[in-house]
Amino acid sequence: MVTRQDVTGVPPRPSVEPPRASPVRARRARRPGGLLAVSSLIAAGLALPLVFLLIEASQAGLSTVISLIFRPLTATLLWNTVRLTVVVTVLCAIIGTGAAWLIERTNLPGRRIWAVLVVVPLAIPDFVVSFGWESLWGWVHGFRGAVLVMTLAVYPLVYLPVAASLRAADPAQEEVARSLGTSRLRTFARITLGQARGAILGGCLLVALVLLAEYGAFEILGYQTFTTEIFTEFNSAFSTTAACALSLVLVVLSLLVLGGEGMLRGRGRAVRVGAMAQRVTPPHRLGATAIPALASLTLLVLLALGLPVAASIYWIFEGGVPSVTSATSVSMLDAAWHTAVYGAAAGALDTLLALPVALLAIRYSGRARHFLERSTYLVLAMPGVVIALALTFFTERYLAGTGYQTAPLLVICYAIMFFPLALVGVKAAVARAPASLDEMSRSLGQRKLATLRRVTLRLAGPGLAAAFCLVFLSVITELTATLLLVPTGVQTLATQFWQYETNSSYGQAAPFALVMIAVAAVPSYVLGRFFDRSAHEQG
Amino acid sequence: MTQLAVTGVHKAFGDHPVLTGVDLDVPAGSLTAILGPSGSGKTTLLRVLAGFEHADSGTVRIGATVADGPGAFVPPERRRIGYVPQEGSLFPHLNVAANVSFGLPARERRGPGTEALLESVGLAGLGRRYPHQLSGGQQQRVALARALAIQPTVVLLDEPFASLDAHLRASVRADVREIFRASGATAVLVTHDQDEALSMADRVAVLRDGRIAQCAAPQELYACPADADVARFIGDANLIDGICDGGGVDTMFGRLPLEPAVPSPGPVTVLVRPEQLVLCDEAPARGPADGGAARDGAGAVLAARIVACEYYGHDAVLRVQPEHDPAAAPIIVRTSGGPQLPPGSVVRLAAKGPVRAWSRG
Repeated sequence: MVTRQDVTGVPPRPSVEPPRASPVRARRARRPGGLLAVSSLIAAGLALPLVFLLIEASQAGLSTVISLIFRPLTATLLWNTVRLTVVVTVLCAIIGTGAAWLIERTNLPGRRIWAVLVVVPLAIPDFVVSFGWESLWGWVHGFRGAVLVMTLAVYPLVYLPVAASLRAADPAQEEVARSLGTSRLRTFARITLGQARGAILGGCLLVALVLLAEYGAFEILGYQTFTTEIFTEFNSAFSTTAACALSLVLVVLSLLVLGGEGMLRGRGRAVRVGAMAQRVTPPHRLGATAIPALASLTLLVLLALGLPVAASIYWIFEGGVPSVTSATSVSMLDAAWHTAVYGAAAGALDTLLALPVALLAIRYSGRARHFLERSTYLVLAMPGVVIALALTFFTERYLAGTGYQTAPLLVICYAIMFFPLALVGVKAAVARAPASLDEMSRSLGQRKLATLRRVTLRLAGPGLAAAFCLVFLSVITELTATLLLVPTGVQTLATQFWQYETNSSYGQAAPFALVMIAVAAVPSYVLGRFFDRSAHEQG
Repeated sequence: MTQLAVTGVHKAFGDHPVLTGVDLDVPAGSLTAILGPSGSGKTTLLRVLAGFEHADSGTVRIGATVADGPGAFVPPERRRIGYVPQEGSLFPHLNVAANVSFGLPARERRGPGTEALLESVGLAGLGRRYPHQLSGGQQQRVALARALAIQPTVVLLDEPFASLDAHLRASVRADVREIFRASGATAVLVTHDQDEALSMADRVAVLRDGRIAQCAAPQELYACPADADVARFIGDANLIDGICDGGGVDTMFGRLPLEPAVPSPGPVTVLVRPEQLVLCDEAPARGPADGGAARDGAGAVLAARIVACEYYGHDAVLRVQPEHDPAAAPIIVRTSGGPQLPPGSVVRLAAKGPVRAWSRG
């Protein structure tokens, strides 16, 4: 043994790749230094908007910021924002959960078709929904209008996770509860809702954050919230300080929502004990209640999906045939092309950036790594307008305006905004390709590249595609940051639509709405397939 | 010939040392079991052998090559080591045939070799199934076939039977043993199950606190454990106090003869296996066969009260408390069935020598 001691003096062998460990042994793994460094850089980049807000506030001085925050306008905005958020979130929770239960757990006729129809409204930008309603009926306006439109536009955000969790949860638990003497209704309340609790909360969180950041729909409906006011302050009044002061309040609101969701979620978890194959449990028989159930789903789909599409078609014909001329179709192709390029670039960039963070989160444990991954969710609390303002600020301050309103900056802005979405998909992808399978492949004589091609990418591919699609979809329907940062002379589908809409040229705006819906439908379909399949594989 | 030689391997994760100087030789064509309690570093050792982890110091030799040592490291894909992990780790996106042929060069993957391998592990005709369509035992066999397909120098098995049902485990174990006998492959099996180690392996290495406490054939390990801890770990053991005088040892069972390895005179720990104890009612019949032991201990009969009795059909295990010392650890006695003795009744015990003893430090 003594002769061996000099061996410890040998310099460490160069490590060629990020060290890996299988998930079960994560705690004992070597320090993933490289991954940690890259992830820290990414997290720092994502924190830029917050840094900007703090710099701006400190420059303006505390008294200025306080006087900007504590004025009657803020109270109005706060009341408007909070009551809308609460009402719409509750409505979405009810509609989303109800629809998910009907479609996943009952013998409702045509469940598979409903499952698609109920999700499609997600592909329609919120401002297109409000355009559809507001352009047809003037009474859809203000608070009432905002509640109606936003509920119809965003309830799929609750439906999707709840449906997935009901599908993956063990239906036998309901039977056990019934056998223990619990009534049907109490079983639904205690078991079914309990199983979906985390998913409902997660969906509500997304709804609340979307509502806090929404601009276009409220602008059309004439409803004033923090986000609309921030945009107006910056874009019309050119008052960055006022915009930032209001942004700080908005960020605090978002943090409250994030924290509240975390507290409500608590420690309870829907766990399936045992790895036994899932038995197929017969769905609940609806009987005569099938008719009102079908009627309400039909109404939901008609209002959320049918009306915006019908309104767009109506305005195309109302505006007369000249509304679609060769000139507009050229500008439409051009706008569609730019939208697609920006979306694809941001999707690719985000998928790439999310990889190291996801690897760190899934394959290694540790408090610092957990914190790092969580901190990237802070971006969710930043409305697009704030992120765009931050990037404007930094390019002006440190790059003398170079890059402002260029395509790369816009793509970076999208990448920051939608990073948490990409991370969700990439984490799912990384979890499907565990390190143990990489090691298996290596021990079977496959080099790193062959392993990547034959194992890792084959397993992670669908999840990566899902991450890409999520970002792509979000970019198509993004409006505020795009309006601020889009390169001069370039139009995207959203900005072109917005321009026509604000000029009340409904006939010209309508085709853009339809194209946006059509373009968004493709990635939505891919996403639906992915989540559907992963739920089946889990089961 | 030694196929795999491990010398002085150290491995720590952060401040936590896992392997602290492992020395192990695995003869070609043998099945060596590494036996240790959970957390003893078994899996880490296997991962170092496979090349998934670098040893901090020490050497791993595979055949004539230094696979891991000062200034040398052969990556896992060039070690030709078949690895069968605990959970099987089949590639979920590939069917059984593609899993088995995964490690073969592209043009050999569609050859008849795959089917022959599947046949050898008893899974003929299942090549088109996907891993999730197989039972746990079948998945393990596919993982084994996949490891054997690359004609490995050594096959490493990491608790491969841990996830199987008790009845399935016995049959898969026997099958695997047979597959290795037939293929002549060298194998290292990691397990915490001493029955598995003793019944399957040619050699058993006991891993304790990051180093090999003893490596020997199963019979030798049971009969001649290196120390009291190994004795306790392999099979049931009664460890009692005694005084050694060089010729024999004085215990509560009287004076007992010693194995050839005699400790220095003084206080010792004595190993008495449960089957070395007899109930005195039976003792006279066996008297002549091992009379030496009985005669050596003058009045070598211990009165003890039965605390518990576990009946197994072919035999029974009694836990008894010596009457003279209610504070002593209960003594385990294996009897060949016989009449059921109710707890609380008093029996008389005698020990058959020779016994093994170690000086108490």
